[in-house]
Amino acid sequence: MYVPHSELDLKKMFDELKINSLDDLFTHIPDALLLENGLDLPESLSELESIDYFDDIAARNKSDLVCFAGGGHYDVYLPQTVKSLTMRPEFMTSYTPYQAEISQGILQVLFEFQSLVCDLTDMELANASLYDGATSIAEAISVAINKTKRDGVVISSGINPNSKEVINTLIDRNKFNLDYVDLDNFLFPTNFEFDESQAAFVVSYPHYEGSCQDLTELVERAKEKGLVTICYVDPSMLGVLTTPGQMGFDIIVAEGQSLGSPLSFGGPTVGWFATKKEFARLVPGRLIGESRDKDGNKSYVMTLRAREQDIRREKASSNICTNQTLNAIGSAIHLSWLGPEGIFEMGYHAIQKANYMRKQLIKNGYVIPNDDSSLREFLLEVKSDAAEVLQKMGDKGFLAGILYDEKHILVAVTEKRKKIEIDNYIESLMEVDNG
Amino acid sequence: MVSGGNASSLPLVGGKPEPTIKELSSPGRRASKFPKLDVPEVKINHESLKKEKARLPEVSEHDLVMHYSRLAHRNFAVDLGFYPLGSCTMKYNPRFADSIASDSRFANMHPSMPEEFTQGCLKVYYEIGNYLCEITGMDDASFQPPAGASGELTGLLIIKKYLEVNNMNHKSEIIVPDSAHGTNPASARMAGFTVVEVETDSRGMVNIDKLKEIVNDNTAGLMLTNPNTGGLFEEEILTISQIIHNAGGLLYYDGANLNAIVGSSRPGDMGFDIVHSNLHKTFATPHGGGGPGSGPVAVKSFLREYLPGPIAENKDRKYNWYHPENSIGRMHGYHGNFLVTLRALVYMKLLGKEGLDKLGAYAVLNARYLSSKVSKIIPLAYDEPCMHEFVASVRDLKKSHKIKAYDVGKALLDKGFHSPTIYFPLIVEEALMFEPTETQSKETLDDLAENLKLIVDDLQKEDVVLEDFPKNLPVGRPNELIPAKYLTVNWGDFELLEITE
Repeated sequence: MYVPHSELDLKKMFDELKINSLDDLFTHIPDALLLENGLDLPESLSELESIDYFDDIAARNKSDLVCFAGGGHYDVYLPQTVKSLTMRPEFMTSYTPYQAEISQGILQVLFEFQSLVCDLTDMELANASLYDGATSIAEAISVAINKTKRDGVVISSGINPNSKEVINTLIDRNKFNLDYVDLDNFLFPTNFEFDESQAAFVVSYPHYEGSCQDLTELVERAKEKGLVTICYVDPSMLGVLTTPGQMGFDIIVAEGQSLGSPLSFGGPTVGWFATKKEFARLVPGRLIGESRDKDGNKSYVMTLRAREQDIRREKASSNICTNQTLNAIGSAIHLSWLGPEGIFEMGYHAIQKANYMRKQLIKNGYVIPNDDSSLREFLLEVKSDAAEVLQKMGDKGFLAGILYDEKHILVAVTEKRKKIEIDNYIESLMEVDNG
Repeated sequence: MVSGGNASSLPLVGGKPEPTIKELSSPGRRASKFPKLDVPEVKINHESLKKEKARLPEVSEHDLVMHYSRLAHRNFAVDLGFYPLGSCTMKYNPRFADSIASDSRFANMHPSMPEEFTQGCLKVYYEIGNYLCEITGMDDASFQPPAGASGELTGLLIIKKYLEVNNMNHKSEIIVPDSAHGTNPASARMAGFTVVEVETDSRGMVNIDKLKEIVNDNTAGLMLTNPNTGGLFEEEILTISQIIHNAGGLLYYDGANLNAIVGSSRPGDMGFDIVHSNLHKTFATPHGGGGPGSGPVAVKSFLREYLPGPIAENKDRKYNWYHPENSIGRMHGYHGNFLVTLRALVYMKLLGKEGLDKLGAYAVLNARYLSSKVSKIIPLAYDEPCMHEFVASVRDLKKSHKIKAYDVGKALLDKGFHSPTIYFPLIVEEALMFEPTETQSKETLDDLAENLKLIVDDLQKEDVVLEDFPKNLPVGRPNELIPAKYLTVNWGDFELLEITE
């Protein structure tokens, strides 16, 4: 399928190559390695038959639940503009812009993406994307280790548990000491003592459980001891939150799904990475720079290529090659669509609605352990087994949140949720969660 | 003559430079609109809230759509013309797969849902796992790695963990051919191995004698593509695998070139223990301007328990997530690039046995045919039958006329083609690596060869200025030194430069 050759074409091509059949192409491959009867796979389907096949699979998903789950991936409104522009074939079916003269479209959008990320976070330099939020944290830690040549890493425990697993995979624990610091009443302990054996301070903003704090002083004290300070931020809240740049962070990483990508069962989304120019030569992944051609026309081109694996090989600090460009394009278009007012409303409505939901839950006898410090996401203490509550809420039409532990569900509210959905959620919860 | 295959129009639109979205911004404009707040608004005091608004562009929706559409017009793509970029498998990406991946029943699934709610997603992983294992000759697969390089690192971490569990920590060396992709040595170092290079022989294949010299008790494994980066099938692969296995090492297959052999032979039968595949290459998912991809890793059953988990299982007619016992741990925050994996499954279903059995053969036919044509214009690097791609060298033209591979690539852009991969593999001087893929027609291949002939003739003319190419595109060659020296990577950086200089 999708092979254009007619019998006549094949004959001409075989003649050019002086062969008689496709099999003659493989006479140099040892016989023992050639498949005699081909692959043991089902026969092909037409598009019409495939529609039925995939319809059956899609129907097995509980896809119509009202989503109160977050943890880095948020059910925000994704405008059609973003969906249709990112599906333009020029963006979708091109590859890494190695040839700048015929790739100005991708290069300029990525340059705009880098600049928009910098403006939103108050940083100086952003790369053209990494895989996702979790792997971006690990890449940032590697940068800190390379920069400081130290072997300790201070990591807040208030980060997504899957991200912890990714860090534990990618940072060699035989060589580096990962010190996970417990939160104190859902906030990073402000009296934490950093020392000069530590390469990095990694903290989530807001914390995984949804609580948020001003980290300026902690950042200042970590930097006094020479640590590289790394902030994992929820970028869709940066219309309302003080920026990590304002708090003094050296590196900002993010899970960028909520800006430009559908939930996608977790992928493909996009990892953001922004920093200061002094770190430029340690940055993983691609970087796009602005330049001029010989006639003085503005042109964009990949730059600082000597950092990358295809040139530096085993000395490269990261092995990333294929990244998440299309999702980064989605982020750029979504941010431009939102503008300063849109991203403010997106965040402001989310925290107003989350606040309403917490107060209603408390009014109905529920405990929200981090009511004071949380914004759009919070822990809900349930009376019966939390996993069972999630199942039963599913039957009522809700994705009630993310399982946190036996007694708690992590609940996220986006600007998309309606008052009636919140009210119905609480009503259903009281029916299914009866201790 | 502009052609780009059997087309006759210029694919790209040029003219004056397109302003940035920031330059198009004007205070008070906006594209977004949200519903009115429907809960009682209260004063929220929180130390993290700011007073000022974010610095983002203010544009109307029409301005935004025109801007990004105009930028799209300045970008070459598989849908616009021939993209023979070696090692990247730029084949046609079926539209149909996009429609399935856009179905909200897949696209809007939250990754943290209980497995009972996501039976469809799990089935996708389970089904494609079966396809991939049959195609590669392996037993179990994990779809966590979001790209090829991540798949490579996964494979190496599996080797490392396997050696640890089996008390073979002294095995610290990974052998990589000098022709390998840069991601190979980079991944091996990231996994904590020492990289040892093995030379390529004059035929373009692993030098078996040198390999025997290098292999010792410290050998942890070998990373290899087959066909290799020269586009040649490693004919001694069974000997190579025996040498590595006899030393107690494992064999890692870099799936970058899997397209060449789908349906004809399988890495698992060649003796490979670990295989990563690039679904975006072999199984035709859109490359997205640089990503996303998907780099699943498949292993022989004795390595199943080391895979990054969770992986999808089917028990008692239900799908569930299985967590391998000695897993190296997660390689991705969730389940890898699900929608890319889904597109690849759609492609496999559409091709089926008939299509997949012949997939590699047609890819090889196109490359072999094009190589025959190109060899009459530019000498090939190796006098061997190529598989899905081949390497030519303008070494002689560089000596005689100072024409570099770079110049040939740039001149091809003017003719409506993407350039082949240049300067790779590193062991071939002035290399041009062509990978036509199976979805291009004979006319398009003929046309590329004809244009190559024209270019080579043109570039040898006396008054030619090589740096002038390309001439017919939105921009000429960008000055690469400016951004590297002055870090003009954020808007405003360049203007600042003009003021200070």
